[in-house]
Amino acid sequence: MPNYRVSMDIGGTFTDIVAYDQQSGTYEATKASTTPGNLSAGVIAGLESIVTDLSDIEFLVHGTTQGLNAFLERRGVPVLLLATAGVEDTYHIARGPRLELYNAQYRKPEPLVERKDVIGVGGRLDGQCNEIRPLDEVAVRQAARRAVDEGYGAVAVAFLFSYKNPTHELRAREILLEELGEDFTVSLSHEAAKEWREYERTSSAVVEAYTGPVVRNYLLDLEEKLADRGVEAPLHIMQSSGGVLTAESARKRPLQTLLSGPVGGAMGDVELAGVSGNRNLIGVDMGGTSFDVSLVVDGKPDVSTEAHLEGLPMLMSVVNIHTVGAGGGSVAWLEAGGLRVGPRSAGATPGPACYGRGGTEPTVTDANLVLGRVDPDWFAGGQVALDREAAITALKTVGDQLGLDPIAMAEGICDVANSQMAQAIRTITISRGIEPRDFALVAFGGAGPMHAVFLAKELGIPETVVPRFPGAFSAWGMLQTNIRRDFSEPYFYLDEDIDPADMARVLRSMEVEGLRSLVSEGVPEESRRTTASVDVRYQSQEFSLNVPLISADEPESPDFVANLAVRFSAMYHERYGHSNLGAPIEIVALRTQAVGDLGRLEAPLFAPAVSSEFKHEVRRVVFDHVEHDTTVVRRDDLAAGHKFEGPAIIVEQTATTVVPPGFDVTVDEFGSLVIRTQDVEGN
Amino acid sequence: MTIEAVKTLDPVTVEIIRNALTSAADDMNATLIRSAYSPILYEGGDCVVALLDTEHRVLGQSAGLPLFLGNLETCSIAVEELYGREVWKEGDVWILNDSYLGGTHLNDVTIFAPIFDAGAVVGFAATRAHWMDMGSKDVGGSMDATDIFQEGFRMGPVKLIEAGVETSVVDLIRTNVRFPYQTIGDMHAMIAALRMGTTRMKELVGRYGMDQLDAARDEIFRQTEEIERETVRAIPDGVYEAEGVLDNDGINLESPIPIKLRITVDGDTVDFDVTESADQTMGPVNCGAAQAVSALRVGYKLLISPDSNSNGGSFRPMTTQVRSGSVLGAVAPAPCQWYFSHLGLLIDLVSKAMAPAMPERVASASHGDSMIITAAGFDPRFGRNFVSMEATLGGWGAWQGTDGESAMINNVNGSLKDLPIEMMETRYPLRINEYSIRPNSGGPGQWRGGNGVVREYEFLADCVVGLWFERSKTPAWGLFGGSDAQGPEVVINPGRSDEVRTLKANARKIKAGDIVRLAVGGGGGFGDVSERSREDIAYDIVNGFITEDFARTHYGY
Repeated sequence: MPNYRVSMDIGGTFTDIVAYDQQSGTYEATKASTTPGNLSAGVIAGLESIVTDLSDIEFLVHGTTQGLNAFLERRGVPVLLLATAGVEDTYHIARGPRLELYNAQYRKPEPLVERKDVIGVGGRLDGQCNEIRPLDEVAVRQAARRAVDEGYGAVAVAFLFSYKNPTHELRAREILLEELGEDFTVSLSHEAAKEWREYERTSSAVVEAYTGPVVRNYLLDLEEKLADRGVEAPLHIMQSSGGVLTAESARKRPLQTLLSGPVGGAMGDVELAGVSGNRNLIGVDMGGTSFDVSLVVDGKPDVSTEAHLEGLPMLMSVVNIHTVGAGGGSVAWLEAGGLRVGPRSAGATPGPACYGRGGTEPTVTDANLVLGRVDPDWFAGGQVALDREAAITALKTVGDQLGLDPIAMAEGICDVANSQMAQAIRTITISRGIEPRDFALVAFGGAGPMHAVFLAKELGIPETVVPRFPGAFSAWGMLQTNIRRDFSEPYFYLDEDIDPADMARVLRSMEVEGLRSLVSEGVPEESRRTTASVDVRYQSQEFSLNVPLISADEPESPDFVANLAVRFSAMYHERYGHSNLGAPIEIVALRTQAVGDLGRLEAPLFAPAVSSEFKHEVRRVVFDHVEHDTTVVRRDDLAAGHKFEGPAIIVEQTATTVVPPGFDVTVDEFGSLVIRTQDVEGN
Repeated sequence: MTIEAVKTLDPVTVEIIRNALTSAADDMNATLIRSAYSPILYEGGDCVVALLDTEHRVLGQSAGLPLFLGNLETCSIAVEELYGREVWKEGDVWILNDSYLGGTHLNDVTIFAPIFDAGAVVGFAATRAHWMDMGSKDVGGSMDATDIFQEGFRMGPVKLIEAGVETSVVDLIRTNVRFPYQTIGDMHAMIAALRMGTTRMKELVGRYGMDQLDAARDEIFRQTEEIERETVRAIPDGVYEAEGVLDNDGINLESPIPIKLRITVDGDTVDFDVTESADQTMGPVNCGAAQAVSALRVGYKLLISPDSNSNGGSFRPMTTQVRSGSVLGAVAPAPCQWYFSHLGLLIDLVSKAMAPAMPERVASASHGDSMIITAAGFDPRFGRNFVSMEATLGGWGAWQGTDGESAMINNVNGSLKDLPIEMMETRYPLRINEYSIRPNSGGPGQWRGGNGVVREYEFLADCVVGLWFERSKTPAWGLFGGSDAQGPEVVINPGRSDEVRTLKANARKIKAGDIVRLAVGGGGGFGDVSERSREDIAYDIVNGFITEDFARTHYGY
């Protein structure tokens, strides 16, 4: 009887698997070792450890890092790029900015295609859909033969104005496939990213061509293995946008899967926002070398239409994950007699001194260990034995020079790291026009809950939530998503030039396209819906805001342009603190989001406490230079309704939550730890 | 939350405060860029913000446009010199764009405010940004002004906001600039940035108290100073010199403008002397002394402290000598619109002069100027006027171990990007026929200089075009045996009977169907050509960075 909904999130070391049993309404989480040589083998083994008979799986969603790893390790396929003759250097010119202002020895991001692999193809369109010169079909055919002769694995095609008029790109693909066979990878820029700006669109097509075959082969292999084991449910793939797609669609549009890894956590935030009633959340996920921040504003994920990977742009919907260079491995060091923490990291090798792998410099993890904020037995799921003495020795190397004993040194490192992380969060929120005090913090990942309450304190955030299974939160988040397809249409008009009837016509045709895409995703009719929106900005601004429309027909309603201006100005004011109602606005793009509702999973209630007592011990732990009696409790020993005061440390298999003095912990009905500032009056 | 007892100043607190001050500046910058109206700010980052202490020393500064580095403080100092310290009132905001006080051209506007806490000044917030137009005789700035009055309107320090209420200066601005809507939008973005800075500063004062903040500041400045002195001390004592010329001042086209730099390193101090540079010119390539100091600081920072955030402890090992009445120390009424051309050269000259002492830190020269093209006219497609302004990319110099980068923005333009062809052709009546990397334009060497670009415009409507292309007489030089790069070339209607070659033009009439072909120079090479590996030469030929002929002639390949 198929009744499991299962998600799998592949990380570098572990694959997290979360299964929801729809009959019993319970979740189960597990970790399996990631098997880099043969990823699907590890995935299948992990699945079987949690669901005995894989044919019991009703819904399966997967976050894959195949494309991302191929990109980062530069082992995608060789790509031949066809671009508009005369301007074919666009990809290598790359718009020419210098991203490091005081670096006379600056290098551009390393392109995925060498200049010799670019062919200028005759043919030119203008911005009004006119053909100025016809496509040079002979050149395309020659390019196809070169692709064969020289062993290219994919062809990317990026012609000027294809986002308005794709005829040349489409014809080029016909010719290429005639020569290369139907299965050859040809990535067209207007399909990878239907937006203006030729460099960014070309880059999107190149990334897709470069990583596509790798993703495709992996998914085909995994689907085959799953089918062999009786899984009938279609495999779904997490997208960068926060929605999911069938694997079949993902194979066609692999770009959308590229940045899906950390997105699951952000979607988990969104679900928590729905369950807890906290509409505004800041998610913090801390691992060994990085610290990821995600935002949920008014219950929605913070989504952008452009992303960068190692400096290379991609135009696509992507949930914003801000990575700050701080993690457990951040190294403390001295400069001119002053203490510095990071940005350099000890990484996994040699790693923090306490790993005993040859690291001698003190890191944040060493500091946490010495302060008793890490449980040495359960660190990283018990995979790494920690050496406290080595940590103390390392702390002394810096502390002795500053006149700080190891404990003071350790606390200092944590304080500096926490203040840096808090400031990074603050700047991220400011640049999004958000005030962090109005948010709650959600902490997940191995080290997120260790630092979260300190961050909340620094930011003046009243509430921190640590969900169940914080180590597998990202996988859990993937189970809470919907099918999602995004469609955009460049649509550039000043307000006085807008033709509402035409705008409604275009939106309706996008709506039809969106609904059709849901049919192909296998979404039943009653679960299909679309939303229309429009990117608006004040005339001649660059950044636009995405303004939701009531429907695709709204442009035909009376006073539409005036209403749009009012709505836009209100959003603008909320974001920037000022607005300019009455100033000319311009429309940049129309967007349609097609969503297939996969049904909500009931958030399972956590077992209620039978008494206010729970099993725990009391240890002496240093907070703010002073040893405190600290409640140390295993999370499994807590039940819904339990309450206690900080200082406290809550340990579980995948994470440790640290609560300094001045905070109260409550276990809510879903099993989340809710940590709040103690009332001032209570002190 | 309980109020924490004042702790004695420990290294942890100092570091937390140091980070907080930088972060406060980042927050100001984020506020400015997110709410600015002009692409030159939100895309080009042509702006800077800073928090200053009560003595106008930098507490925290965003890594904004390099050329704005380190002279924001001159503005609030100028106010105090004019009106005394008692002039500061809570709720006031000041504005200034005087080229001789601020140092830049009139388009660079500084807005600043005192920060009060409990009735006392606790510091200043300041921001400087480029405004699109200041009412100069030509749209956006003139290329042939002969005095500053032709370049727009000039404001010494005046109050923009008094006790929280906008003064009539706002109306003065609105009525004197060509794009009041964007300009006032940018002005509000700048004021929002000041508010952010004020909020952050007051939070810090509330949390740590002035005594602790002052003590932390002294320690932060001390650390910065010590780091820089240590680096300077490692440079062998001696006199280091370099010189170059600007092609001309835009008016007297046959007279090059020499820029001469003499650097004296003595122990842990370094003196920069530019007094031997040319007298101020009739054309607009002058700047106030404050700006020359800024450029020298950029050159210094690139070599001495590229990775750290600047603060009041920065540049303490450094002294500067600028001659009043020279192009680098202009006095009224010298025109200053193109002040950055000689400053870009000056920054490169710092690297050239210091090359013998720090070969591993320097790079050969870059193409060296912003290479500006402007176009203005009537767009028959929309029935509207249009104005465009672009900087053109060029090649950067090579350095020890690496070829220079091709097709990069000029060093004084921060993170500005070129404008996409699709955006250009949609907005303006023109077509870009060619946009390519210009082969052979980088200087040969063991490490090859980066190549410049070719960008060819075909205009589809009558319009007027302005051109400011520089550095043909001192093209990007090589270092340590590396060769010079090719310089810029601009051809109007190439191959036609009306072909014209020129590098500078102000409001030149162009007809529909005319072609303007821009070719920007490359960067200088590094090291002797005979040392370049055969593989690297072969790679360059295959990838079209050099031609086979060029390889034969210059590398004997």
